[in-house]
Amino acid sequence: MIWPAFKLSLLVVSIATVLISVIGTGLGFVLAKRQFRAKELCDALLTLPMVLPPTVTGYYLILLLGRRGLLGRYLYALSGWTLAFTWEAAVVAAGVMALPIMVKSARAALESVDARYEMVSFSLGKGELETFFRVTLPLAFRGLMAGIVLSFARALGEFGATLMLAGNIPGKTQTMPLAIFEAFISGEDRQAQALALILTFTSIVTIYFTNILTRPSKSA
Amino acid sequence: MLHANIKKEFRTNGRVSFSLDASFVVQQGIAVLFGPSGSGKTTILRSIAGIAVPDEGRIELGEHVYFDSEKGINLPIQRRRIGFVFQDYLLFPHLTAAQNVAYGIRSATPKGRRDRALELLDLLGIAYTSDRRPLQLSGGEQQRVAMARALGSDPVILLLDEPLSALDAATRVRLLGEIVDLQRKSKIPFLYVTHSPADAVRVGDSALILNAGRIVQEGKPTEVFNAPRNAGVSRAVGSENILAGKVQEHNKREGVSVIDLGGCQLVIPYVGLTIAAPVTLGIRSDDIIISRERIGQTSARNLLEGTLQQVVQDGQEVDLLTSCGVDLKVRVTPQALEALDLRPGIKVYLLIKASSCHVLS
Repeated sequence: MIWPAFKLSLLVVSIATVLISVIGTGLGFVLAKRQFRAKELCDALLTLPMVLPPTVTGYYLILLLGRRGLLGRYLYALSGWTLAFTWEAAVVAAGVMALPIMVKSARAALESVDARYEMVSFSLGKGELETFFRVTLPLAFRGLMAGIVLSFARALGEFGATLMLAGNIPGKTQTMPLAIFEAFISGEDRQAQALALILTFTSIVTIYFTNILTRPSKSA
Repeated sequence: MLHANIKKEFRTNGRVSFSLDASFVVQQGIAVLFGPSGSGKTTILRSIAGIAVPDEGRIELGEHVYFDSEKGINLPIQRRRIGFVFQDYLLFPHLTAAQNVAYGIRSATPKGRRDRALELLDLLGIAYTSDRRPLQLSGGEQQRVAMARALGSDPVILLLDEPLSALDAATRVRLLGEIVDLQRKSKIPFLYVTHSPADAVRVGDSALILNAGRIVQEGKPTEVFNAPRNAGVSRAVGSENILAGKVQEHNKREGVSVIDLGGCQLVIPYVGLTIAAPVTLGIRSDDIIISRERIGQTSARNLLEGTLQQVVQDGQEVDLLTSCGVDLKVRVTPQALEALDLRPGIKVYLLIKASSCHVLS
């Protein structure tokens, strides 16, 4: 029970982290560097999963992506496949729950880059894309990394929304937090302890690295 | 050659709080854009660079139209080929000096870019900084790297926004000379924004005086500083005469130095500079005594002979614009104007104490 849950958690969280790193940086960039009318409303909507109870977010995801869901029904009609109760659903749930942290971190990190550096790059003949990858991204790197580490941790601990959207199927959708819950209610204390220890250790390492990454240093 | 006609209004709470309406031409050489803070200098520079968008007007460099409100043209920054040097350098902190300079170089190969970058650093005398990060460089070194970087992209004009204001006096003087050299070598026009009269006279081939969003006078720097056309210009440039010259000789026993200003010489308190070293002098217009007759023995070390060109009166303040080999403005009272019957065309004598001549750089 420990091993499959550990493997699944690692797979789910790795994929979710990669996805939200890219998507979160993109959304953070738009919020940090572009001016548009509904900006703060967009920010609020993106932040919503951070404030809502995870079960509510999970419920909305079912309404959206379930077999009869707003989008899910078309997916089912087209492919005969549905997201609910698959390991991919655990990726979506973890991703959606961790995205706000990434977007917030990315926005703050990218906003902290003096726009005049980008102006210098433009004046040296570079386009938006090259400027982003060669100037903005390296200058925001530490903040973005901190956001990625925090999102990773958030995705790893995801419970409520995962339970709603992916269920709790051992060996298929049962991630570590779900396995702890099941081990505990079925009286398997040693397993619950082992899993809890793994997660605690991971969290400590995460906080440690976040602190190092966000510590103001002399070289940056 | 740059032709600019820039109109832009700034509003606070719906009211026009500042309006910029400036037309000017920048020829070859270094044009100084001078004005008190808040006069619109930076907005002009930003409009030329494409960072700010004017409400109306036209900006063209050679045959390239950068901006034309009538035709709806607004060329993006990337395509203007403008070098921009900021007051606080803005070197990319994650790159070395050589990488900063190489960043904008249009060469196909990394080696081509690096070689050109090293060449530019060498031109500015800081080849030794190539592998250092900006934080390991002094202010003067950082500004040299910033200039090398701006030149690396082969710009058609270089815009400098108060590039020396964060530097100490000795470094400023050295860099002023280097900027002039750099312009002569690069052969592109420089537009140099400053609020320092001494810097303006030192580097400028021409000067544009900006006051409250309008170009109020243009011409040779010494001319606009020492012969302000009207009271507005006079307020913008301040009450000091700014003169550029070279050390001609020292008289250590008497504790004085003689400065050659081209059209005349001035005796000033001893300066520890080598012969022929460039020097910028400041003489406050109310420190000069004017007379219609040659006065014999006085304690003042300098007696200049010249012609009164123009009288600019603004209430209780009268500026007499004189030409004594160099242009000098003299501040007198309305009573003196009347008592001496001072009018354009008459011969005048100016008395200047050596100690009234301040070395600005």
